[in-house]
Amino acid sequence: MLMDRNHIIQEYISLAKSLNGNVTIDNDTLHIIIPKESLVEIADKLFNKYQCDFRTCIGVDERPVNGYFSMTYVFTDNRNSLYLLIKTYIDSLNPSTPSIMKVVPAVDWCEMEARDLLGIEFTDREQYKLVLPPGWPDNVYPLRKEVPYNYRPLLRGTSEKISPSTELGVIPIGPYHPALHEPEYFELYVEGERVIDVKYRGFHVHRGIEKLAETRMTYQQVNFLAERICGICGFEHSTCYALAVEKAAKLDVPERAQYIRSIILEVERIHSHLLWLGVAFHVVGYDAGFMHMWRIREKIMYLAELLTGSRKTYGINLIGGVRKDINEDKKQKTLETLRELEKEFRELIEIAINVPQVKKRLSGTGLLPKEDAVKFSVEGPVARASGVNKDARRDQPYAAYKYTSFKVPVYTEGDNMARALVRINEIFESISIIEQLLDKIPRGPIMLEDFDIPEGKIGVQVVEAPRGGDVHFVITGHGKPYRWRVRAPTYNNIPALKIMLKDQPLADAPLTIASIDPCFSCTDRILVIRENGKREWLRITTGV
Amino acid sequence: MNFIRKAVKPAELLIIAGKTKRVTVKYPFEKPILSPEFRGSIEINHEKCIGCGACVNACPPNALEFVESSDKRTLRYNIGRCIFCWRCIDVCPVNAITGTRNFELATNDPLDLYSYIVHSKTKCTSCSKTGETVKMRKYIMQRSPVTENYINNCPDCRREKFINALSVRKVGFVAK
Repeated sequence: MLMDRNHIIQEYISLAKSLNGNVTIDNDTLHIIIPKESLVEIADKLFNKYQCDFRTCIGVDERPVNGYFSMTYVFTDNRNSLYLLIKTYIDSLNPSTPSIMKVVPAVDWCEMEARDLLGIEFTDREQYKLVLPPGWPDNVYPLRKEVPYNYRPLLRGTSEKISPSTELGVIPIGPYHPALHEPEYFELYVEGERVIDVKYRGFHVHRGIEKLAETRMTYQQVNFLAERICGICGFEHSTCYALAVEKAAKLDVPERAQYIRSIILEVERIHSHLLWLGVAFHVVGYDAGFMHMWRIREKIMYLAELLTGSRKTYGINLIGGVRKDINEDKKQKTLETLRELEKEFRELIEIAINVPQVKKRLSGTGLLPKEDAVKFSVEGPVARASGVNKDARRDQPYAAYKYTSFKVPVYTEGDNMARALVRINEIFESISIIEQLLDKIPRGPIMLEDFDIPEGKIGVQVVEAPRGGDVHFVITGHGKPYRWRVRAPTYNNIPALKIMLKDQPLADAPLTIASIDPCFSCTDRILVIRENGKREWLRITTGV
Repeated sequence: MNFIRKAVKPAELLIIAGKTKRVTVKYPFEKPILSPEFRGSIEINHEKCIGCGACVNACPPNALEFVESSDKRTLRYNIGRCIFCWRCIDVCPVNAITGTRNFELATNDPLDLYSYIVHSKTKCTSCSKTGETVKMRKYIMQRSPVTENYINNCPDCRREKFINALSVRKVGFVAK
């Protein structure tokens, strides 16, 4: 649907108007306030007719401000670089709203998260407890403003049983398992060597990051908290948070700072993809490849330390700019390292990908067809390997990406090989992006002096992390965010694993799980254990 | 021919491995690979610190905290919580904090993780409430023209004194 941007905006406005909606346009964001009866219809139109991308949904406790709860659904129109925020107000005495799951299946988890944490009920769908532990007192909803951040109910440790084996064999993977790096639990039902069905049980780790930011931190402190959402792609999260607040407050950040952000983002992407390739080789048993990938990754880690002061969790992002400049000396060193890296990586990957075992294990396994990729709104390399052409760097240009030109690798095979190739190509693209940015980087300050952040403004930003799009949604408050919602890419990618693992040999399961480059702790950032002795299963989508 | 080339391709890794040799260092015996920009633990200069609390407000993980007692204000640095972001160095008004490249911070005794700077607090001459640190008061006096008469009071007494003085000047007496 290639159309002139103004034309499509008008179309969205008339669509909202026809459903009694109220539209305000703020740069690249359309805020659409709609009565809850029209929610399903507008979601259907946006998702199916206009093929907007569903990103996440956010429940907000706005009772201290206007006496209502609200749900905001974030859609993005990737062709026209538009954010569409569909907001509906929900009565606070009997919070209930129709679910849009029938039209947008990917909404499953985030609606249940809003139910657990804010007590909003969703009609027309099956509801279950997603994130709170069993034994959590009823009627205590942690993200409601009256609940203190340090509220800790007495919870008794309980155990959870795996399903009784029927005629199918049950193979549990996790919560602690050599093939997984983080506490997550998969239950594979096998018939002989073939996986028939999968159950996924996540959300074991609670960190309460959103509540913490909303209660006891200041705007600038949250940058460092955001960086700790993920151990691998932390800088994307802090950039995303900073950009969202800057967008809400309409701050004009110095160009040089935006360039530096983009450079560091790409450095992080290279290191993350190299890490992933290493892990993938390790999983298929090609440990020599693993060692060499991590050997050349070490150069990037050193480079990151040189540019930011730390190997990981760089800590250079603040609202209004960055803290560390790149001088001529560092620029030369960076270019030198990248040249070396490119040469070595090209040599190595050609060898590694031609190893017969690697080729065989990667090709044709973990298939994810395009229809399912769209249905689950998967992100990043997983989407691009299944023929979904989306990349926030190109579609929603942020930081300094609009000054660069790069290719977005898209493969249609949808198997593990395609996901590996997407990442391999992206490493070369990233190297080229850094070179372009270093070449063009303008002079000037790197930090905005003196600014203030008005209250009650909304900012939403998508940043393309190595695993896919991070979404940060911020409502500004007094000295700290009023509401801050984070959606990590793995949150959308895990449900797709069910499709990828089905009808595949059991031996490929660890590789396929690894192939989405899962980052479970990012996904769990808000969550608590849920167990109650009884068997009660999480559903990925209906019918598990 | 092509087929053979493909078959022996994986073996080329041996050539690369031979060229690169060992890349790890025998760390405790050899020096670790650190870049000049590395951020390590911080050091706080006892003499320079005025106990203003700028670092306490900025510190994201609350590694720097004030421990208050009746007449002392103690700045406590807990290295176990520190994330080495060096925000405190950015915000310190007197440059009392310096960054080091030290990262070997493991210890047998958890108490070693803490370091303290004890400041004595000032007392209000009228109501004997304690206020900011002595050094902080000195710092303020150097920078802004506050009369001794006012600076020795707590903010409450200062306000009252000011209003009273104003009322004496304007109306002639202090309103009860």
